[in-house]
Amino acid sequence: MLNVTRPVFTELGTQAIDKGLADPQLSAFYESMMSESGIVTEKLREHMPYLSLCSDQLEGFGPPPIFYVGRRSSQRLLFGDDWALQQGQALRTPDPDLEYASADGYRCALAGRPYYGYARTTIQFQGTSVDIAFERLILTLRPSQQSGRRFCAYFGVIQDLHQLQQL
Amino acid sequence: MNHLSTSTRAEYVHEHIKPVCSRATHLKKQVDRHNLTEMWDMILAMDYEVDNVHKLSSETCEEFCDIIELLIQAFKK
Repeated sequence: MLNVTRPVFTELGTQAIDKGLADPQLSAFYESMMSESGIVTEKLREHMPYLSLCSDQLEGFGPPPIFYVGRRSSQRLLFGDDWALQQGQALRTPDPDLEYASADGYRCALAGRPYYGYARTTIQFQGTSVDIAFERLILTLRPSQQSGRRFCAYFGVIQDLHQLQQL
Repeated sequence: MNHLSTSTRAEYVHEHIKPVCSRATHLKKQVDRHNLTEMWDMILAMDYEVDNVHKLSSETCEEFCDIIELLIQAFKK
């Protein structure tokens, strides 16, 4: 029987970033976006490969659907190109438990408070069980100063990953 | 030599470009209808570093169109 690690999704708060405790690349993204008050500028370009972007449409208990998965983002590293580029329906994290556990961070960001936290959980994906620990930063951005449109930017950093068992 | 007439040249679209541009044109109408034009422009500028979808190669344009289809799905209410 699979020994499932008890999931942990903890908010650390962005003050941990300010204190220099977060991943340097994640911190650079956070500082860059905060310096522009969450408005997209040229500064976003260098961070795009590491981001996943999703809408502001919260439905039920899950996070908003994803529309962009950066080529070097943690989600693409974890779930692969085929998942990132699938068509025909809204793109969501393939593990439903992870999907629901991660939703609070998006709700927080969409309420106007950047979310920075730590997660440790076991993900079931394509018949494999993976134990993973990661930092996660979620910000709400706007495409321009005048825009009423909002979207979420997710910057994940995988700290540890172990394939536990083939199901 | 085999010359194309003026009208034929004006209408000519390379066979490998035409299907991709048609898909992008179709998606752009949907994007405008859903008020997502700023998002289209942002993805083009930030990821692909162009200001017009027709500046993309056919393969890259296909990839961009895949993202735009997800974008429309993600913001659909």
